[in-house]
Amino acid sequence: MRFLALLRKELRECLPWMLLAALVFLAFGGFFLRALAYDQRHYRYYPNFSSGTLVERFQLTQHTPLLLTGSCLFCSSLGLGLILGVRHFWIPHFTRTWPFLLHRSVSRKTILAAKLTAGTIAFVISLGTVWVALYWYANQLEAYPIPQTVRVFIEGWIFIMLGLVVYLGTALSGLSTAKWYTTKILGLAFATVIIVTTFSQWSLVWAFAVIAISVVILLSLIFDTFLRREF
Amino acid sequence: MKLKNDSKYIATPAKIFMTVFIVLVAVSILQGIILEIERTFRFSATTKPKAELTEEEKRIDRIRSSAKEFLPDGTIHLVHKPRRTPGRMDESEIEQIYDANDDLLWEGPTEDQPYEYLSWAEQIHRFHEGFTLWSLKQIQMITPEFSQALEIPVGPRQQIRQFWRYSPASDLFVGYGSNGEKIGYAGSTGFTDSKSKVKPFGEFRLFTAWCPQDASSPTLLWQTQRRIYQIDFEKQHVELIFESTEADIEVERTSLHAWRDVKPGEQKHVDRQKYRPLLHCITEDGKHHLLMRNPGQQLTITIPKDWQGWANYYHRFTATKQGIFLRRNWIEFREAPDYFQDRELHGQWLSDYQSKAMKHRVELYRLDIDGSLELLNRYDWTVPPPSVPVVRARDSRLAVQRGVSQFSPPLYDLVVRLLGRKFWSRALNYQNMGDFFYSLARMILDIRPYGGVINRALSAIMMFFVFLHGWPRRTSWANFIFWLVFVGAFNLAGLLTYLALNHTAVINCPVCGKRRGLARVDCVRCGAELPAPERGKLDLILNT
Repeated sequence: MRFLALLRKELRECLPWMLLAALVFLAFGGFFLRALAYDQRHYRYYPNFSSGTLVERFQLTQHTPLLLTGSCLFCSSLGLGLILGVRHFWIPHFTRTWPFLLHRSVSRKTILAAKLTAGTIAFVISLGTVWVALYWYANQLEAYPIPQTVRVFIEGWIFIMLGLVVYLGTALSGLSTAKWYTTKILGLAFATVIIVTTFSQWSLVWAFAVIAISVVILLSLIFDTFLRREF
Repeated sequence: MKLKNDSKYIATPAKIFMTVFIVLVAVSILQGIILEIERTFRFSATTKPKAELTEEEKRIDRIRSSAKEFLPDGTIHLVHKPRRTPGRMDESEIEQIYDANDDLLWEGPTEDQPYEYLSWAEQIHRFHEGFTLWSLKQIQMITPEFSQALEIPVGPRQQIRQFWRYSPASDLFVGYGSNGEKIGYAGSTGFTDSKSKVKPFGEFRLFTAWCPQDASSPTLLWQTQRRIYQIDFEKQHVELIFESTEADIEVERTSLHAWRDVKPGEQKHVDRQKYRPLLHCITEDGKHHLLMRNPGQQLTITIPKDWQGWANYYHRFTATKQGIFLRRNWIEFREAPDYFQDRELHGQWLSDYQSKAMKHRVELYRLDIDGSLELLNRYDWTVPPPSVPVVRARDSRLAVQRGVSQFSPPLYDLVVRLLGRKFWSRALNYQNMGDFFYSLARMILDIRPYGGVINRALSAIMMFFVFLHGWPRRTSWANFIFWLVFVGAFNLAGLLTYLALNHTAVINCPVCGKRRGLARVDCVRCGAELPAPERGKLDLILNT
């Protein structure tokens, strides 16, 4: 019950940012998707193959109409991760409200679990639902010539998970007591390296593996730091 | 509280892993930047002989630069194109044709050339005509704009009737009508409307596409691990061209000649009135397979083993209406040793290659119906060593690379040895360029310290520094020894990781007066407890 109460409190604090991220993603992602539905030449280009000629290798590759929506999702996800990380773990430090939170009759583990669960739910609800809706719309055959690949849908979830990695990286940096130019920055640096590593993958399995390993590392460090440090 | 105590068993290694990973990436980026700066500002350092050539040297230079062409009867001609006058683009290109005895047979503009030489099958060019496994990985790369799909449209541009999208996960093409409805599948068993009836093509390797003269949609020559298909989407027909039951087909060594139905004047056009369509592929057991049409014929040839291992060795095939021919080029000089295995040996080979006289050979063979080879003609010429020796300046890249690799972890050498030759040949394979982990491995190969003495000495100095730094700060012997070994194994990255995770302030012990770290409550030398700060003097470090 205490956990649920804490979770509700954290979700209440996340709500404005969740709504903002969802609205920004819906507005820009939806706009670009709709714009590409009107003019497919922006993402689909078939050359006029003339008989008796060779076909260049990249004349047969096609983008998805969700290409600009993907960029919006990626930016929204990183932005939400950064904002929620700051909101959950940096702001209480600046406003000196950590003691008020920690002196309740709940364990630190429960407080941290509530924060992290609220962060994860925020990603799934705000970006996940909008992404599912936009992907569904992109599969409506009145607007687009052929259905989108399942791979694109999974890649969208990878972007959302990368936002979660940024959230955890920001949390770790926020909890560190070191100077910002020393080990405090490692959490964010690690999240950056993980984003670059994920964008160097063509295999979805490897991309998920990289994200899963990074999440395990960051969570273990966040728990260890949060349970040991003095506020 | 239990979680708090248990978490350190996961958190401590996780912290070390995270820190050393970031520091290794940072050090590698720095090393890469230095190498790229050197590459950008490198100037041509090789001094070429500038002495005026004698008449004999000019003759040899002409023979060397001439194209050696064969007539269908086996006669060889040397086709020389003299350089144009600099700046005179209006001059037409002139050709001089010599026979094997170096007598001038004909001279005139290229377009008036009276001879028709044999043309040869060429490998499918990976960048222009071929779509390789690497290209497939490139379009599948995770980017903010999402991955792309391979789609074959059927019908003219304004009235596309069908789209056939390749699904890499199932090795099939899935067809969609112009209204977006799924219309069928294409696999090794052909085109079908049911997924249960279709079988996958097999692991994709390469394809080349062209629009036949009687079609408006692309036809694909599709190579998998062991098979080659021709897929005609317009006629909805899949033809199995070749299947190897014993070994995989070598990647990117498939050659074509007159195979693609391209109209005159277009790239890769070959006159089908004179030549038979030919596909040449090599399987990993060393066998060469020739597939011909008009009439259909398949030949399997085993190239003699003593043909291999020579510098600049290559051979090509062609099939005319009169016969099948093979052309072999080689230099009587052993091929270069593997650069990555032994850079010194490779450097020695290069120096010998540039300074010794070498016999170049070109041979023409006719293939019998059973695949045996009959030598028709051969021509050889000797290229003498340069009269003024080529002076190679010190390779600045190698020097810079050696310099930056002194700060690489000695552990890289061990990793290179442990992963073995098979892994490295895969890592260096062009097909695996897009793979992140192979790219990482190649980077390690580039900056590994090659067991350098300076690298080991630097590691030893860093270990000594860690010993001095860690002695007053040590919390346990196991910890202290671990960090010494860690820094020795990771060099600069190890030292930075050690400092990031272990640097604490030291104070003088109020009992024994020796220095002690603040991470431990009792003195490592005398066992005295950490003093409590005095009233009104909160800073323990400044007040002890």
